[in-house]
Amino acid sequence: MIKKITSQALLPRIFRGMEAGDSLKQSQVWLRPDFTLERGCRVCIAAESGSGKSSLLSFINGWRSDYDGRILFDGRDISLLNAADWSRLRTFHLSLLPQELCLFPSLTARENIQLKNALTNHKSTQQITTMLERLGIADKADTPVARMSVGQQQRVAIIRALCQPFDFIFLDEPVSHLDERNNREAATMITEEAAASGAGIISTSVGHNLLLPESTTIRL
Amino acid sequence: MKKDALLIRLLRTNISKAQLTGYVVANVIGLAVILTGVLFYSDCTTTSTETDDRFMANDYVIVSKNIDGIAFAPVAFSENEIADIARQPWARKVGRFSSSQFGMRASASLGGRGLSTYMFCESVPDEFFDIKPARWNFDPQHPFIPIIISKDYLSLYNFGFAMPQGLPKLSEDVIGSIPIDVTLTGQNGLSATFEAAIVGFSSRLNTIAVPQSFIDWANNRFAPGSTTENAWSSRLIVKTDPLLTSQMQEYFSTRDIEIAGDREADSRIAGLMRTVAIAVTANGAIICALAFFILTLSIYLLLQKNENMLRNVIRLGYQPNKVSRIYERLVARINCGVGAIALTASLAARSLWLPALHSAGLGGGNIWTAIGATAAFIALSSAQNTMLIRRRISALSS
Repeated sequence: MIKKITSQALLPRIFRGMEAGDSLKQSQVWLRPDFTLERGCRVCIAAESGSGKSSLLSFINGWRSDYDGRILFDGRDISLLNAADWSRLRTFHLSLLPQELCLFPSLTARENIQLKNALTNHKSTQQITTMLERLGIADKADTPVARMSVGQQQRVAIIRALCQPFDFIFLDEPVSHLDERNNREAATMITEEAAASGAGIISTSVGHNLLLPESTTIRL
Repeated sequence: MKKDALLIRLLRTNISKAQLTGYVVANVIGLAVILTGVLFYSDCTTTSTETDDRFMANDYVIVSKNIDGIAFAPVAFSENEIADIARQPWARKVGRFSSSQFGMRASASLGGRGLSTYMFCESVPDEFFDIKPARWNFDPQHPFIPIIISKDYLSLYNFGFAMPQGLPKLSEDVIGSIPIDVTLTGQNGLSATFEAAIVGFSSRLNTIAVPQSFIDWANNRFAPGSTTENAWSSRLIVKTDPLLTSQMQEYFSTRDIEIAGDREADSRIAGLMRTVAIAVTANGAIICALAFFILTLSIYLLLQKNENMLRNVIRLGYQPNKVSRIYERLVARINCGVGAIALTASLAARSLWLPALHSAGLGGGNIWTAIGATAAFIALSSAQNTMLIRRRISALSS
């Protein structure tokens, strides 16, 4: 279990040389000596496009390592983790819904979800069907993702992100293409899932926020 | 496995059936040519019976020093000369002839007529014999001397001696059943008579051969102290590489060493056949190398085309090893299929030449060589492919 994620003097390398700028000086994350996300938190990271929201989530989830500073999981530097460690963390401890969704276009909606669930056995087929129904895409379950709209794809990706146990779930602009009803339903499902295990929810937004109740907004 | 069916289906996206078919066809042809060459070489160099080593499998020469005029001093090879011969690239093994250092007289009864003759005997280490008769040993407690003579001697007796003398012609079996008494007389005056029999006929050794253990025992008893180095090394038997016959002949001729018998023609044909077999195998190897290149390229292209997909699968939480294994199994299966088809094809080809080689006393090749070559191909090819796949997929996970 990961209880605490800490960043120390974290800065994407692409921002090197911009340390004196206002945006970095005002950031609550970049270059802070001790920025911490606790298990059970509800955080919305709001910032303009290009300020590094996706980069932050990629760094924490081990997708990228082009940063200065350190990221620690319960005090352990993640730069020391190997491929097997990351596989285990991504299967049981960290869930990430990336902005680009990373679905497999040739597979159907249900197959995309099953591909994750086959790793974790976290949800039954019935539970997956219920989630598809709640987000209004049950009729698209057997449609290849390539033939679905971006909004529908976003909902498939949300369900897939919930098909695993996690200590933290990271959602990168998860509802950018969703209407308010689906936004609210998605937020409810994510909150239910996180609350059941005491997990933290970290969502990013450029203005179209995931409607999480009682979330803290952090400026990047 | 069923659990991974979805992953397997996903990872097989973009596999080019045309490329894989090209690889399979090219590699089956290449490997079949290699295996055919291996089988042909093996058949051409191995006799189909234990007793016949004529023609191409004739890898042995017997050498002695040329004698000019009359020589009373021992004409023998020195230790240095023997060591030098053993070092030559064409020499696979060198054995020394041991000769009897005592008087020998043999007598037998044939068709009611007594036959008696002075004789001699020699021996070489057992590994140089082309036959291994059942009674080929000597036990001083129950002395019986088994003798192997050259097949040429039997022909000489039957057609050169028996006919004009009015003696019966004898088959190999009959000769073996004739009891012979051998009387040994030493320079020390010791004399003893032993039972003996001809237990086999050699086409390799042009001598009267007895077991090494008998020569050692008899020399020690009837000629104590006379077993000198020279006596042991007057003639040598050398197992040679027939492909290097010309080098061997040049070596011996420049040193005034005589090779018994004229085997040059056999060796030339043998050399030619083996060169053909090696050329065929080499061509097969080139085809295989090209086919191998096709597969390597196909794997590389496949992994490149699937790069994003593979990265996303790993980011979902799948272990890179598990992802690699799916491709590794695929290439291993393909290589096993290629091996099985090529081996079957080459064994089918072998059945075409085997009757002809059998009639020439050859064709005793071992198919395990070809099976071993197939297994080696599958192992090496799959190992290289596996390394490539692991390296590429591991790079995606970092």
